[in-house]
Amino acid sequence: MNYLYFLYIEFLQRHNIPKLFGDITYYFIPFCIIAIALLVVVLGLVLAERKLLGFFTQRKGPNRVGWWGLLQTLADAFKLLCKENITPDKADRFLFNLAPVLVFVPIIAALGIIPYSAEFTFVNTSTNVILYLILAAFPVLSVFLAGWASNNKYSLFGAARSIAQVLSYELPITFVILSVVVLASSMNLTGITLAQTSKWWFSGWFIFPGILGFIILFICILAELNRCPFDLPEAESELVCGYNTEYSGMRFAIFYLSEYAMLFANAMFISILFLGGYLSPFGKYLFGSSFLIYFEQAFWLLLKASVIVFIIIWIRATLPRLASFDLIKFSWVYLLPLSILNLFVAVIIKFAGAGG
Amino acid sequence: MTTTTTTLKLNLGPQHPSTHGVLRLLLELDGEKILSCEPDIGYLHRGMEKMAEKMSYIQYLPTVDRIDYLAGFFYSELLCRIVEKALEVEIPQKVRAIRVMLLELNRISSHLLWIGMFLMDLGATSPFFYTFREREMILRYFEKISGQRMMYNYFVFGGVRRDIDYLEDVDEILSILPSKLKDYENLIEKNPIFIRRVVNKGILEKETALNYSITGVNLRSSGADFDTRFQDSLYSGFDIGKVILKEKNSMARYRARILEIKESMKIVRQALDYLKKAPALEQKLINPVNMKLPEGDYFADIEAPRGIASCFVRSYGEKEPYRLKWRTGSYYSVNLLRKLLVGEYLNDAIAIAGSLDIILPEVDK
Amino acid sequence: MDWNKFSEVFANCELRGSKILIKSRLHDVIKFVTDNYPYDILKEIIAIHNRDGMVELVYNLYSTVDEESLLISVCVKDEAESIVDIFKSAEADENEIYDLFGIKFKGHDNLKRLYMPECWDGHPLRKDYVQDDTRLCWNDDNNDNA
Repeated sequence: MNYLYFLYIEFLQRHNIPKLFGDITYYFIPFCIIAIALLVVVLGLVLAERKLLGFFTQRKGPNRVGWWGLLQTLADAFKLLCKENITPDKADRFLFNLAPVLVFVPIIAALGIIPYSAEFTFVNTSTNVILYLILAAFPVLSVFLAGWASNNKYSLFGAARSIAQVLSYELPITFVILSVVVLASSMNLTGITLAQTSKWWFSGWFIFPGILGFIILFICILAELNRCPFDLPEAESELVCGYNTEYSGMRFAIFYLSEYAMLFANAMFISILFLGGYLSPFGKYLFGSSFLIYFEQAFWLLLKASVIVFIIIWIRATLPRLASFDLIKFSWVYLLPLSILNLFVAVIIKFAGAGG
Repeated sequence: MTTTTTTLKLNLGPQHPSTHGVLRLLLELDGEKILSCEPDIGYLHRGMEKMAEKMSYIQYLPTVDRIDYLAGFFYSELLCRIVEKALEVEIPQKVRAIRVMLLELNRISSHLLWIGMFLMDLGATSPFFYTFREREMILRYFEKISGQRMMYNYFVFGGVRRDIDYLEDVDEILSILPSKLKDYENLIEKNPIFIRRVVNKGILEKETALNYSITGVNLRSSGADFDTRFQDSLYSGFDIGKVILKEKNSMARYRARILEIKESMKIVRQALDYLKKAPALEQKLINPVNMKLPEGDYFADIEAPRGIASCFVRSYGEKEPYRLKWRTGSYYSVNLLRKLLVGEYLNDAIAIAGSLDIILPEVDK
Repeated sequence: MDWNKFSEVFANCELRGSKILIKSRLHDVIKFVTDNYPYDILKEIIAIHNRDGMVELVYNLYSTVDEESLLISVCVKDEAESIVDIFKSAEADENEIYDLFGIKFKGHDNLKRLYMPECWDGHPLRKDYVQDDTRLCWNDDNNDNA
């Protein structure tokens, strides 16, 4: 139980509400908060991507709805909300409708275990790295459901490609995370963050001993997110729209938004593992020891995640798509051995450090 | 329990992001491997040939730009050439220079669009916008000259509609393009993913290409030395560079188009230098009202961006042609897909089909 | 192209301008020409529905080596020999001619309607084609035929 929990109980008791109620409801509140925050972040992210792609390709990007196009995604989401939800005749209705529901659950859960600042972790378990790993791989299930239940050949291809991709790239991710766990001697995300504190600015970040791991993880995350150059499951020029070809209206919007939510969650995850999470890059916080320090820490995390997101969007504007066989080969032939090597390096650094 | 494996029939198109129009490919797939490919065309058929039989030549002239909306000048040039040949009219030197300059600019714009579309097929979105930016300069110029961005109707029987102007715009295009081509080289050609997607993919042997009647850039990138511009009287006096590549793959087809843009720029430069010094246009246009071609068969062909385009007219001395036939390059490229895509994987197949530069209005006529 | 040698092998043919008019044995003629002379590309097949009711097929052969073209013309009624085994590109041309002129090519096993719908009757580029506007609307009868 952490700071937030006590804050909440204290608040309830002040209004004469029994502690039992607080114990039960406490676990629902973070998810509500996350869901709302997520929506805001994702709407911003979609706009940011469109603006950045516009910038990279010398266009203006959305600039009509609201000042600087700020309300564009909101308008788009509203439009999708108003649209008809079409279920294809021969689709498996139950699974078809289940898939978009299922896709959001693991993402909200994954965001719940991320330490935004020293005290702001909604669910803090001792091995939440593993938990995150499982939750991050979970959306592929709904991708598969969507592809299978749509009864569309393009969707099926998209789902099959997605499964193959996640299967190949899950293994290097695990090895890289393991190397970070070795370096930090902790399986807790907060623990990993704190293990990166150092006296001199950002010298303690794991990106320095684990630059190889960082690169591997970054590539694998791109593949897991189906982002360019690994966007085969939804390759527009080949598979029309991949697994969500048959989806329309709000269901499509959910898939669309969940992609961005996952993008941001994974960007935060990389920042925590390698870029010191909520730690300030200057070694000390601007707001010293006041209450604002928590916001400052969250700011640093979001900033680092934004940089990662920016790079991912940048890559999308630059690279063409990989061929399907190269994609699988790239993982098994290059990334997997390198990630194992990275693990060895991490172990050696750890023990050399401990010995010295 | 017994399991049976069957192949999967996939309808690629007619509405599909990468068929560049309304081409339908009926693919038989084993996993993602293509076992057979059956192109189905005709979704964009406008009856250009039937239409000609009911129209006088001057009525028909504005419609021929629509055969290939990316290289409209080539088709109006063909029809004009047929009429000029039949009535034995010699076009003045300045008209020739104007036509050559506009044709080559049109070729550049067409190739630029292809580069963007090809990269789009490969999954890279940015080059599409970059090449459109450069193409836009050329289209703006065409608009200034002819009043239209794509359907020009600028060449008329015996000459051009009005004298050429705004030559400084062409100067600007020629000065900007080389640096942009350099940018493409840096962005695209050195990209390892791009190289892996195009090298050793879509190998087209010279013999196969000839057997399938593939002409133009696709044939030249398979090592054949065949360019009808060298025998073309329109181009006589112009120094044309040869672009022949031996690699036979998608990369060669990409490189050939980049090189061809560079060669076209040189031709445009020659025409431009001539036009800058040339006096005001003096031309004797053929009066198109009640114009009748003498009895006979007339052929004309030209090196269009997508292979040889040719026009055949049989006239019985009437106002309308008795029969008019177009030969377009893309039509044969579509036929080639039957052979070229077999044995490839779906996402390579898209890239290979894209590399052939198929434009559907040209196929369907 | 050596006309004398050609006329020795194939009697009953005629040279008019740059065009060779033949009466029959189209496949043999094309085979002979491509075997003996460097005509390596079939630019196009032009079909014309002549005033005498016959369909004239003009084979436009081209040599990329000598850079000269050769026209071989044959008049057929409603059936012709296919040359798909010599030039693969003829597959596309013959299919188009089948669609627009109704010529059946023996040896071409993949003839289908190309531009016209499957249910369309008549071949529009024939001079005896009657334009019947009722067929232009896509009614249910048409769909049943397809």
